[in-house]
Amino acid sequence: MNQSSNQGLAPGTRETYSRLHRWLQRGLFVCLTALVLEGTFTFPFLLVWYGWPTLSLQEMCSELQKHRFSDDTRECIYPYPLFGPAEGAGQTTAQDEWGVQPRPKYERIGFRDLVRFRDERLAREAAAKQTPDPGLAIGVRE
Amino acid sequence: MERAAVASGYDVHQEQSREAQRQADRWMLPGAIMMTTAILGPIGFPLFLKGMSIQRKAALQGLSVRPMICTLLGYLVIMDSGLNSIGWSLDLVAHHSLINRTLVTAWGNMFDAGYYWHYNELWIGGTGAPGEKSWEIGLVPTVFCMRLAAAIGFLQMKRWGHQWLIVTCWFGVIYWVGYVANMTMFADLRYTGVVFPVIGWWIYDIFYITPFLAIPYLHTVNREIFSD
Repeated sequence: MNQSSNQGLAPGTRETYSRLHRWLQRGLFVCLTALVLEGTFTFPFLLVWYGWPTLSLQEMCSELQKHRFSDDTRECIYPYPLFGPAEGAGQTTAQDEWGVQPRPKYERIGFRDLVRFRDERLAREAAAKQTPDPGLAIGVRE
Repeated sequence: MERAAVASGYDVHQEQSREAQRQADRWMLPGAIMMTTAILGPIGFPLFLKGMSIQRKAALQGLSVRPMICTLLGYLVIMDSGLNSIGWSLDLVAHHSLINRTLVTAWGNMFDAGYYWHYNELWIGGTGAPGEKSWEIGLVPTVFCMRLAAAIGFLQMKRWGHQWLIVTCWFGVIYWVGYVANMTMFADLRYTGVVFPVIGWWIYDIFYITPFLAIPYLHTVNREIFSD
């Protein structure tokens, strides 16, 4: 390939591959931009979806545990002891259909559902205090 | 006879090119590092674009700077490795930190319950999904570190950087195929009760396909532009 045929091509790009390289460059720029946007907005989006600022980070953590392990008594321990056992080790409350392909029974968490779960639980607990009924006091959510 | 100590036009051109590239990298590198932290992306991205613009201007002036596609490729590999490493390192060694138990499990609940289902129940902590922990142990200390090193060598236009980027991008193909297969085999536990299952995961993660964009370039570029 002579020098004149390389006019306008980036160093390292032969004419045969110029179209390929042009499209790859566009793809790379799209991926780079998308990763930056994702990186920037993922955590704020998650925070808002799961209840912040109504819930603090620790309250969100507790609500997620209550949901995951189907146990309203679980609380997120913070700070967690450095060499403590795994937080969920030995739990017996999580609901699953067990088999070769386990299937969890917890429900999908919609937009700010954790706030609703928390409010409903607090209402249940307040009602249980007014009418002390041991059946209501358990308050385990499926 | 003594050689004259006057720089030739070629030397001046080389020196100016080197200086222009260094100046562009002085903006792009901090930008890329900020972008790999995820949350500092909005600060890092403009710095990166500023560096790109300096490099482009230098190229238009006829200086011998790095081809733009190499710049994009090198920095994208740095970002891809950095972002992957952040999430997986949190799960691997900081699984009981508050930020991990809140934001990573929330991400799991939203896109992939491998990071939610029976979380922090295994003795090693973190994900309870079979296979997922193995990928973390297998990839974070090996491939992603190698990819970061290769990308730095590649940005310096070194021959070894080009070669190691080829090696680690083919690793990338292996971990993409292996990861997706592993995830699909346990699809029931990973996508039941998830906010944006399967399609959501693909839309979120498709932008990590750097290896598939890099390999065609790395195998078709004229290798003479990389120095020994």
